Amino acid sequence: MTETILEVKDLTKIYDDRPVVDGISFNVKKGEVFGILGPNGAGKTTTLEMIETMRPIDGGSITICGLDVASQPQEVKAVIGVQPQTAAFQDKQKLHEIIEMFAAAYGEKVNPWEFLEDVQLGEKAGAYAESLSGGQRQRLSIATALVHSPKVFFLDEPTTGLDPQARRNLWDLIREVNARGVTVILTTHYLDEAELLCDRVAIMDKGKIIAMDTPKTLIKQLLDKGFKKEQHVEQANLEDVFIDLTGKGLRD
Amino acid sequence: MTFKQQLRTVLIFTKLSTKRFFRDKLALFFGVLFPLIFLFVFGSMSKGNTDTNFRVAIFNQSKETYAAEFNKELTSSKTFKVSKDAKNLADAKDKMAKSQLDGIIVLPEQFGAVNPDIKHPQGVVQVLYSQSNANTGQTLIAVLNGMVSQMNAHLLGAQPPLAVQPAPVNDHHLTAFDYTFAGLLGFSIIGIGIFGPINVFPELKKQGILRRLHTTPLKVWQYFTATMLSQALTGLVGIAAQFAVAIGVFKLQVVGNWFEIIIFTVLGIFMILGIGLAVGGWAKNERQAAPLANAVVFPMMFLSGTFFPRFLMPGWLQSLSDWLPLTPVIDGLRLLTTEGAHLVNLGHQLALIGGWTLLIYVIAFRVFRWE
Repeated sequence: MTETILEVKDLTKIYDDRPVVDGISFNVKKGEVFGILGPNGAGKTTTLEMIETMRPIDGGSITICGLDVASQPQEVKAVIGVQPQTAAFQDKQKLHEIIEMFAAAYGEKVNPWEFLEDVQLGEKAGAYAESLSGGQRQRLSIATALVHSPKVFFLDEPTTGLDPQARRNLWDLIREVNARGVTVILTTHYLDEAELLCDRVAIMDKGKIIAMDTPKTLIKQLLDKGFKKEQHVEQANLEDVFIDLTGKGLRD
Repeated sequence: MTFKQQLRTVLIFTKLSTKRFFRDKLALFFGVLFPLIFLFVFGSMSKGNTDTNFRVAIFNQSKETYAAEFNKELTSSKTFKVSKDAKNLADAKDKMAKSQLDGIIVLPEQFGAVNPDIKHPQGVVQVLYSQSNANTGQTLIAVLNGMVSQMNAHLLGAQPPLAVQPAPVNDHHLTAFDYTFAGLLGFSIIGIGIFGPINVFPELKKQGILRRLHTTPLKVWQYFTATMLSQALTGLVGIAAQFAVAIGVFKLQVVGNWFEIIIFTVLGIFMILGIGLAVGGWAKNERQAAPLANAVVFPMMFLSGTFFPRFLMPGWLQSLSDWLPLTPVIDGLRLLTTEGAHLVNLGHQLALIGGWTLLIYVIAFRVFRWE
C-alpha cells in the first residue's frame, strides 16, 4: 500500500466568488478505502465531482493513475467507476440490458448475468429497473460502475436512505470490491460507516480539510487532548436491537 | 477505444433504446396511435371536400306516388346528404341559417300528379337556399336541374337534341387528401423529432441519468447517433402505419418508389430530430424546454403546410415559409409519394434539408448539456 493512485494538489472550486473547495491537498494509496467526511455543504461532493471529471477545476491539479484529470478526462473516465448519490435508471429497461448498456458505454462486452450475480441481483436480471427497491437500485448502480474493471471506485453517500439491512449489505459489497484490489473513495456523513469501512478519512468543513488520518489515530488524538465522553455501560445500542429482532437478511 | 468499438457502442445504445420504445405504451400512443387519430380526423375532412355533397333537408308535401319515387331518387343520390334532423320547414330554415344545411328541397302538394293531357307526372321542385351562401345555392340548383332534365328525358322517352357530356379527368390529379397526408406526415415527424426529445431529455437530466452516462467515456456524437437511429426506426413504424391507413381507408395512390420515400423520410427525421436534440439537450428542465420548443414548432406547424396547404397562403408568406426546415420535408414527401417525383428531382428540397441539418446539428452539439 505504498503506491499513490490519486494525488490532489491545492484543489479549488469557486461558485459566486465563494470558494466551495478551498485549496485542499491529499493523496490516496492504491488499495485503500478512503473516506471524505463532513457536514452538508462542506464541499465533499464538489471535490468528488472534480476528481470524476464532472466539474471544471478552478485551481490546483488532480492526478489519478498517472493521468491528469483536467487534460485527459476521457482516459480518466476509463479507469474510474462512479456511483452517484442517487441511482436512477430509465424505465422499461431490463437489468441485464442496463449492464450491457454501461459496458457498451465503456467499449466493453461483458456477461451481464455474472455482474448481476455479484450484487445478488441474478434473479432479477429480466426485471425492469423501476421494480427495484432502494437497496437493489444501489447495488445495480454499483454493478454498472464496475463493468469495465475500474482501478478506482467512487461512491457518493452510498447508504443514504437505506434501511439497516441494506446498509450492512452494501458495506459487505464495498469490502468485496476493495478486496479485489480496487481503490475505494467514498463520501458519507455517517461516522459509524466511515469508522467501519475506511482505512483513512479526511474531514472537510467549509471547503477545507481540517483533519486527515486513520479513524483510530483521529480518535486517539482526541482522547490525548483529554476528551472524555459520558460513559455508557451498555454493550449494545438500538441498532443492535433492531438487527437482532429483524435479522441481517436483505429485505428486497 | 477504436472507432469500430465506438460504433459498436452506438449500435448497442440504438438497439436498447428501440426496445424500450416498443415496451413504453405512452411512447407507442404518441408515436403511432396519436398521428393515426389526426389522420382519421383530417383525412375525413379533406375527403368530404373532394366529392362535393350537399347537406339538404327534403320535405315531401305531396301524396302522389311519383313524388315518393322522386324523393327516393334524391335520397339515394350520392350528391345529397339528406338530413332527417329538421322536424319542420321552420326548423330546417333555422338550421340553414346556422350553416348546418346547404339547402331545403320542397316537393309541394300535387307534385307528381299525372297531367291527363300529356299522361306524365308534372310538378315544380322548390329549392330554398340562403342568400348569404348564394354560391352553394346556385350549384345546388344546377345539380338539381341536371337531375330533373335527365328524368324529363326518361319520362318523355326522347333524347333532347342538345346535351352536355361531362368527362372528368382525374388520373394523377392531386386531391386535397394528398396535401393533407403529406402535411400530417410532417406533423408526425415533428412529434417524433421534437416533442419526444424535449419531454425526455429534461426528465433524464432531472433524474441524473444523463449525468451518470457522462461519467463514462461515452461521447455526445455516439449518444446523438444512437438516438437518431432509434428514432428513425421507431418513427418509420409510425409512418408505415399512417401509410397503411391512408392507402387502405383513404385510397391514397402511392406512385413513388418506396425505397426513396423511406430514405427521404429518414433524412427528414434526422433533421427535425436535431431541433429536438438542440432544444432538449440545451434545456436544464421542462420550464426551459417547453417555451422554446413551442416558439420553434408553432411557426413551422402553421407555415410549412402541416394542417393546410401552403398554396392557400399569400405569396410573401409562401416565399418566407419556403425556407423553414419542415417545408422541404412536406413538399418532398408529397412529390415523392403522389406526384411521382424521384430523389434526383428533389435537388432543391434535399439542399435545404442538408443545409438545415448541418446548421441544426452544429448548434445541437454546441449547446448540449449532460445535466
